[in-house]
Amino acid sequence: MTLALANLVALATLTLLLPGLVTRVKARWAGRRGPPIWQLAYDLRRLWAKVPVYSDVTTPVFRLAPYVALVAALASAALAPMLSTAPLASFDYDFVWFAYVWGLGRVAMVLGALDTGSSFEGMGAARAATFGVLLEPALFLVAGALSLYVHLGHGATAAGHSLTALLMPRLQGGAAVTLWLACVIALVIVIQLEAARLPIEDPTTHLELTMVHEVMILDHSGPDLAALQLAGAVKLATGVSIVATLLNPWAAARPSAAGVLAHLGLCVALALALGLSESLLARVRLRAVPAYLVLAGIAGVVALLALLARSAQLGGGGAP
Amino acid sequence: MSSSAALLTALPVLLLGGGLAIGLPGGRARFLAAALSQAVATGLVWLSIAPLLGGAPALEVIWTWPAPIFQIAFRVDALGAFFLAWSLPLTLLGTIYAAGYLRPYLAAGRDGGPHFALLNLTSVAFVLIYSVQNALVFLVGWELAAVAAWLLVIWDYQSQRVRFAGFNYLVSTHVGLFVLVAAFMLLHSETGSMDFAEFGAYLRAHPTALGGLPLLFGVAFALKAAFFPFHTWLPRAHAAAPAHVSALMSGVIHKAGLFGLLRFCLLGGTPPQWLGWCVLLFGAASAGFGVLYTAAQRDLKRLLGYSSTENVGIAAMGIGLGLLGWSWHHPTLIALGFGGALLHIFNHALFKCALFYAAGAVFRATHTVDLERLGGLARRLPRTAIVFAVTALAMSGLPPLNGFIGELLLYMGLFSGAAPSSEGDVVLVCAAAVLAFVGAVSALSAARAFGMAFLGAPRDPSIAASAAGAAGAAGAAGDDAPATMAAPMALHAISVVVLGVWPELALRLVEPALALFTARGPSGGAALAATLAPALWACRALALALAIAGALALRRRARRSGPTWGCGYVGATPRMQYTAASFSAQLSRLFRPVLPVLTREQLPRGTFPRDASRLGSHHVDAVERRLFEVLGQGEGFVRDASERIPEQPRFAFAAGLIALVILALIALGGGP
Repeated sequence: MTLALANLVALATLTLLLPGLVTRVKARWAGRRGPPIWQLAYDLRRLWAKVPVYSDVTTPVFRLAPYVALVAALASAALAPMLSTAPLASFDYDFVWFAYVWGLGRVAMVLGALDTGSSFEGMGAARAATFGVLLEPALFLVAGALSLYVHLGHGATAAGHSLTALLMPRLQGGAAVTLWLACVIALVIVIQLEAARLPIEDPTTHLELTMVHEVMILDHSGPDLAALQLAGAVKLATGVSIVATLLNPWAAARPSAAGVLAHLGLCVALALALGLSESLLARVRLRAVPAYLVLAGIAGVVALLALLARSAQLGGGGAP
Repeated sequence: MSSSAALLTALPVLLLGGGLAIGLPGGRARFLAAALSQAVATGLVWLSIAPLLGGAPALEVIWTWPAPIFQIAFRVDALGAFFLAWSLPLTLLGTIYAAGYLRPYLAAGRDGGPHFALLNLTSVAFVLIYSVQNALVFLVGWELAAVAAWLLVIWDYQSQRVRFAGFNYLVSTHVGLFVLVAAFMLLHSETGSMDFAEFGAYLRAHPTALGGLPLLFGVAFALKAAFFPFHTWLPRAHAAAPAHVSALMSGVIHKAGLFGLLRFCLLGGTPPQWLGWCVLLFGAASAGFGVLYTAAQRDLKRLLGYSSTENVGIAAMGIGLGLLGWSWHHPTLIALGFGGALLHIFNHALFKCALFYAAGAVFRATHTVDLERLGGLARRLPRTAIVFAVTALAMSGLPPLNGFIGELLLYMGLFSGAAPSSEGDVVLVCAAAVLAFVGAVSALSAARAFGMAFLGAPRDPSIAASAAGAAGAAGAAGDDAPATMAAPMALHAISVVVLGVWPELALRLVEPALALFTARGPSGGAALAATLAPALWACRALALALAIAGALALRRRARRSGPTWGCGYVGATPRMQYTAASFSAQLSRLFRPVLPVLTREQLPRGTFPRDASRLGSHHVDAVERRLFEVLGQGEGFVRDASERIPEQPRFAFAAGLIALVILALIALGGGP
């Protein structure tokens, strides 16, 4: 019960904190002071009180889409370990559910964008859907590699194929480190796309032609826009938490002070790294984005090959 | 009435209904004859299979016949019962939909009687195929379904395009029939019987005796169920047929191919490992190619047709996984594979029929299913829009709708790490990645189809104008689907949601059939429900959260309205919206090698172009194109060869040829 509460508090804090941290780092790097760390919370409160404006073309789909996206983001966040320990809810193969619920959110946003009849939003929707197609296999390759690794008997938790169990592999041997590194790289790319960060998308750009996520929410206003921004922040917090758990050496099903502290530290460090990378890197050309995403798939394949090498080290015995 | 008698009574009832549908005067009476007889037959069939679905042993009636049939065994086991359980009710819903869909034709003087009678005949074919375990009667049912489907497809026979599509289907389905006949003949020559039980006993006793048999059965059933690359007849037939016929063909009739596959898996006993791998990879290829084609189509019904190829591919992946589990003696994998396949077959029937029905409602209102010309239909056809949205999301396998559970079972099997070697496990994970790819592309095409047809503003002003005229003529009811069309659609959509939120209902239907496959191991269908339970509760929680959020979002009254933000451009017209082709352009460019595109363009010429310029792109089927190319070249080859044959000494040439053949026969005959 306490753990569930702690997970919820961590989710809320990370959601509101991480975007502010990224923005602050970028501002400092550019020599500015930057907005307050909790700016997102102020924005959400302001937007929530506004009266939304709807285009004459739109149907109820447009009004539903932001809330479906928000529910999907929250539903997937419930399965992710927010403190490198047991999450709010978990069950066997919940990572499939996780990926499909993310897909539901994506489809909702795409439909909301298409409902406006704007060609710019259609463009963003098409890109979001296409990039999702390239990313989904990578996610499952990574999940498969980790799942088989845990199956070989290297899990921190005794059994189980839940998302949390996959993120706590015990690293043994060189091949395992390759596997682990490849998984981290693939997951970072997944987050960059899903949370609409550089180098896939520049959240501060003003050119609609190069936007993906940002252009899909052009017509949303007031509470709807708040829901979408919150959904984006929740996805960022979820993704960062997942990577932090994978990086965290003290991650375990039983909560420990070291694990929790390391998790929070890693989350902040990842946010700082994101901010730094956004200050230093330029956006990848739109035509090159598919190639960048395929990199995640290649990382997934590398993870699987490393797994094969690892099982060969164990004597080719395969699954027990 | 005993269960078997009830089943056998269904046949004359259906035939009588069909006869009345042709003979009775008046269109209404004809429809009622067909629909009522189907309803009675459905009741009778359910009466007979209800105990089977509760776990009772197989029904058996044996009729003795004069030679050459000797005896016909009516033997309904749980597998047949599973297919019968939904095939007849869905055909009945299709018949009811037909009454609404065909109304404009009937009002213009077409006679609907034969059409309804053919729908009855399809139901007869189902009863024969799913309940008779005799090769000859199976073939009769098979052919009955094929010919009835062909005649149903060419309802609009005045159109050359429709006739060609029908002919194309007829040829393909008969190629499949010949192959199936060959397979049955091989088995008959070995066993001297037409009974499936004898076939099964022989196959189990001689697992490697007939090496080509799996290939023959594979081709026959793949042609029936429209697997890649045997799918070329499918997009044409689905585009040409009336909506309910496309729905029944895709959702119900062609499941007979998968039934055949499952039936012979069951008869063959423990399969070799390679068979499982082949079916798995074949299914993955079918799913992958099918779904890529859905993303590129501009014809809504062709799109849905390709989606059938995708979904039978997913079901075949499940069958392959089950076969692998069987050959590895891994009961959990058997349950996950076959369970996922059976669930997906059933769920696909539910959402695919509804999608075709919705496409039919679109066609009825706009007289086109071209996505590039549609748009903004959600305002004109609100009921159809809701049905299409729900079922399209189910088609892409998203929770909490019914398409998700079958795929989840497959993922569970693919990620289970059950293979005896790590290499095997890695291949299974790659298959899971293909399935994830299929899911994502299918989400793209579902969003694209719904978004382009129903959202935004109407793209083609001529459609909007004709609609306004039609609406004026039709009166206040507007041009949304009438009750006879809307009721079947609504039933399908409701069941899609209910089975998504409460999949135990579907699992209960699948369980007895699954028990046939898992009888050899301790883990049965009941274990599935236990494995799935947390995921099912997650689906329920998600559905509840979505319902609450949706209700809150729609309840908010305070709002203002204005035009869509044009990013500073104020002269936007509906023609400038993103189109279906542009939506999938990036994806189809990435997959150009398998998605060939035909571009017809007339570019503007000169400084002040006078002629109208245009650009059209059309995604053609790579397999069909290649097939026709080969056929065309083959024709050329024969022509060239016949020209090369010398004109004058014809007699000498013929004599030489005959001598050659005789020599060859002697050589072959003497050899072994």
